[in-house]
Amino acid sequence: MMLSIKNLKAEVEGKEILKGLNLEVGAGEVHAIMGPNGSGKSTLAHVLAGREGYEVTSGEATMDGQDLIGLEPEERAALGVFLAFQYPVELPGVNNTHFLKEALNAQRKARGEPELDSVAFLKLIREKLALVSMKPELLKRPVNAGFSGGEKKRNEILQMALLEPRLAILDETDSGLDIDALKTVSDGVNALRSPERSIILVTHYQRLLDYIQPDFVHVLAGGRIVRSGDKTLAKELEEKGYGWLTGQDEAA
Amino acid sequence: MSSSEQMATDLQQVLQQGRHRMTPGLSGPQWLSPVRARGAAAVATMSLPDRKQEAWRYSSLGFLDRVSYQPLVEGPFDAILPGDVEDLLLQDSDAVRLVFVNGYLATALTPAVRCCDGATVTNLTAEMGEVPEAVRTQLDAIAEHRHVFAALNSALMSDGALIHVARGVSSAPPIEILHISVGLDEPGIAHPRHLIVLEEGARAEVIERYCAMGDGSYFNNALIEVALGAGSELVHERVQEESPNAQHLSDLHVRLEAGSRYRLVQATLGGAWSRTDVRVTFEGEGAQAELDGLMLARDQQLNDVHLSVHHKVPHCTSHETFKGILDGKGRVVFDGHIVVARDAQKTDAVLANDNLMLSREAEVDAKPQLEIYADDVKCSHGTTVGELDANMLFYLRSRGISEVQAKQMLCQGFAEEILQKIDHPALRARASGLLAARLMESV
Amino acid sequence: MSSSNKQMDALVAKGYEHGFVTDIETDVIPPGLNEDVIRFISARKNEPEWVLEYRLKAYRHWLTMTPPHWSSVHYPAIDFQAISYFAAPTKKPQLDSLDQVDPELLRTYEKLGIPLEEQKALSGVAVDAVFDSVSVATTFRQNLADAGVIFCSISEAAQEHPDLLREYLGSVVPHTDNFYAALNAAVFTDGTFVYIPKGVRCPMELSTYFRINAQNTGQFERTLIVAEEGSHVSYLEGCTAPQRDENQLHAAVVELIAMQDAQIKYSTVQNWYPGDEQGRGGIYNFVTKRGDCRGARSKISWTQVETGSAITWKYPSCLLRGDDSVGEFYSVAVTKGRQQADTGTKMIHIGRNTTSTVVSKGISAGGGQQAYRGLVRMSQRAENARNHTQCDSLLIGDRCAAHTFPYIEVKNPTAKVEHEATTSKIGEDQLFYCRSRGLSEENAVSLIVNGFCKEIFNELPMEFAVEAQKLLAISLEGAVG
Repeated sequence: MMLSIKNLKAEVEGKEILKGLNLEVGAGEVHAIMGPNGSGKSTLAHVLAGREGYEVTSGEATMDGQDLIGLEPEERAALGVFLAFQYPVELPGVNNTHFLKEALNAQRKARGEPELDSVAFLKLIREKLALVSMKPELLKRPVNAGFSGGEKKRNEILQMALLEPRLAILDETDSGLDIDALKTVSDGVNALRSPERSIILVTHYQRLLDYIQPDFVHVLAGGRIVRSGDKTLAKELEEKGYGWLTGQDEAA
Repeated sequence: MSSSEQMATDLQQVLQQGRHRMTPGLSGPQWLSPVRARGAAAVATMSLPDRKQEAWRYSSLGFLDRVSYQPLVEGPFDAILPGDVEDLLLQDSDAVRLVFVNGYLATALTPAVRCCDGATVTNLTAEMGEVPEAVRTQLDAIAEHRHVFAALNSALMSDGALIHVARGVSSAPPIEILHISVGLDEPGIAHPRHLIVLEEGARAEVIERYCAMGDGSYFNNALIEVALGAGSELVHERVQEESPNAQHLSDLHVRLEAGSRYRLVQATLGGAWSRTDVRVTFEGEGAQAELDGLMLARDQQLNDVHLSVHHKVPHCTSHETFKGILDGKGRVVFDGHIVVARDAQKTDAVLANDNLMLSREAEVDAKPQLEIYADDVKCSHGTTVGELDANMLFYLRSRGISEVQAKQMLCQGFAEEILQKIDHPALRARASGLLAARLMESV
Repeated sequence: MSSSNKQMDALVAKGYEHGFVTDIETDVIPPGLNEDVIRFISARKNEPEWVLEYRLKAYRHWLTMTPPHWSSVHYPAIDFQAISYFAAPTKKPQLDSLDQVDPELLRTYEKLGIPLEEQKALSGVAVDAVFDSVSVATTFRQNLADAGVIFCSISEAAQEHPDLLREYLGSVVPHTDNFYAALNAAVFTDGTFVYIPKGVRCPMELSTYFRINAQNTGQFERTLIVAEEGSHVSYLEGCTAPQRDENQLHAAVVELIAMQDAQIKYSTVQNWYPGDEQGRGGIYNFVTKRGDCRGARSKISWTQVETGSAITWKYPSCLLRGDDSVGEFYSVAVTKGRQQADTGTKMIHIGRNTTSTVVSKGISAGGGQQAYRGLVRMSQRAENARNHTQCDSLLIGDRCAAHTFPYIEVKNPTAKVEHEATTSKIGEDQLFYCRSRGLSEENAVSLIVNGFCKEIFNELPMEFAVEAQKLLAISLEGAVG
């Protein structure tokens, strides 16, 4: 298994959010994690990326058998974990190109690969820009500062294209996007699907799944996965809402 | 007299000794005498600022009780050869350079200065050439003796650059004023004094730098006057990289006539105690001033900037952005005071001060002030103090960048807004490199 | 009552010992201040010995102090020996009907929508049986007593709750604090004492207006509010109706103490006489107000609408000592004509996770002079403390002035401070837009100014907020054009 999560429990500010979550993601698979607000979707994404303040109290998460939980965020990134943020952070004064190059080379170095020089990097980044239809001038600006909502999300996908993670977690990447931007972003993600790369789509709405077809759909409620299925589960959710599943959870 | 009595600095005594030891030849030409006399008279009536005075509330002068500074009346230090100061020079710089060692022109380090026609660059003691009449009348006409140090500078001014750009002349290349301080056995106090006069429509770029050979203890008490004629434009770039044991006081006075433009960008990075007082006065309508600064305070450094911007006439613009980075027991003091006089309508004044605290022992004291007596104005100020944003740090680390590197990147990014305003590429590179090196030691 | 009379006699006799000769029945003592005057005040109020000692200690300290000069307000030196420091509480002349009241005052009452009977009460007309403020107050007192709330004058508290008073009086604003606080501690005439027991939510908004003896508490008012653990209280000071007073100097002291989980909301509407067009005769309002968030999660909120007085000099402050405690300051100050205001707040963050919010809206019209002066201090212990300060000035006319003097001192890197200030005038395009929709210029100004102040009015108790809006409109009448 690429990613294996076993009975994972995690707290935020002393409050248990994940209450024994199990998930197996194989190489090349696309998993959608859906669920009502407050079910723990974003917590899962942040726990996997190693955000401070998200404390794992028990259980495990491994990638190719290697424990993730004990690692620093940058170590996870070097292993190939990538989180596309729901709210990409603005970094005033930090040049976007500089940032991307530093990130790429830091990961290459950690993996024992040679670092790219400026020329090689620029060539590479130009290729990737086309993939997400991003304006080259955004590279000259500080990271995300003054970017529109769509531009920020595209910048996230650009980073994914550049860093070529083995496990990409897209946290509500569809939120705040209009239909055109959603399509561009989805096209970018689809282009990055490959047998070596697994993708977890965290989303509240079924809409994104019209554009990125998942292999599996999971419903997260009350800190656990309460139902798993194929993409027809998403359709079912759209028709019935989350109530019938969360209600079931309460009964159980 | 026991040695313990020697440990404190008595400025009146500095004045007496300085005047006494100053040889007639070194005290400069005759035309300086009235200025010196005025300064001396003022010193005699003034006492040391104390913290009960609003302008000195956060800047302790305690070091004067611990060190006895002696007036530096000797120089120039011709023993220093160009090779000795190589690493203090700007790399690949096109600027013409005047080098002052401990306050005196070092002719051996100052190649013949060639500027374009209409631009005169000389020095107070006139070794570099005759001083134009237009310059003589301006000396001490712009500065105000707001504290005893300014008066002391007028009384004891050692040497300095005199720059005059004639009407309509766009001076090239940039003019660099480089101070090199060499620590002596007895800590000395130097009084560099510069004057920049731009006539109507003139343009110039002046670089002002403060460096040290070694990490000696000394006190640089500089005073700079700038007179900008109507429609003239000055780009003034200052980088202070004094020795970690030095005291540095810069008193900068700028007068703007109608339609003139003054752009100051400074990075104050060194010194144990550093204070820059900038006083900008708008005398003519439609003038603009843009003041930007980066303040670094680490270890036990105090880095203090006081701005005082007087909008005396309508339709002037002043924008100020000052950023502080603090580490260790570093202390940043920022006092920005904007005054809009009655009838100075359509004033546009924006003052921003942001501080980044990297340590638990650092301290920021900020005082952004607006004093407004006219109604049709656009004035604002903003101040922030905080630590590195945890979200930003995490974001960088989640992309594989180490924590230390991420912190450095964010600090550098924070400083970048100021550093990028330095026009001169070699100076910008030096300031940026210095900052990076110092952050590397700190973070 | 007779026993307390005896005590009084005894104390008065003691006063005579020190050579002070005056008739105890007199309503006003001659101008001047010395220890005998203080002994007289204390005796007249039948105070316990420790109160007299407290006053004398304050007086002796006051003698060593000089009036402050650092603020931006200008006024001729005050002759403290020309002031009479005691007046019995029957100062307002009793009038027979509203016909005898200054018509200008009546017009203002009408605009404020104050009911007729209240107008009479405010202007000193004898109140008839329909609106008996005494009986109203009695009803309220019963409700409060049932809840265990103490709400009385400081003088009463000195008699009936001496232990409480002794424990807390001067514990937030010490008698050495500043010149006017020292003076107040020496000569305070009367004021309010509020004590909310543990866990009690005060059943009503407390207002001086409903307190017997509240009128004419004199020029050296003293207020002390203690909120015990988990209690809540909202206190309203002042009144939107214009207040006339013959005493030019007012130097009040307000102390608030909030224990763990307690909340105190203190709202002020100040509309003292600002003086005539030349600025003659207006009130000097020099107030020291400070709240002490002593316990964890306590909260003190100051809201003020300051439209009156010739000079206002006050900085309602919060000492945020308890962890997670909260301090707030919301202020609207209007200066016009010759009025001057120097006001703001101090937020002293000592505890962890303490937060403070400062929103100050200054409006200067005509020749009005105004300054915001504030201090935000993050001490080394103030882990994760937060402050946000917003100071906005609105200028109406080209002869007014607005200044902002914030002090920001930060000694903790995890603390976060944000300060913003803006100065603008009423936009001509805004005015034109409103007028082109049919609003008069005055209404347009009022609309825009009220919009400018909305954040503050939202903090006032509802009925107060409505009055404050009207007050603002009246204050700015004739300010434009």
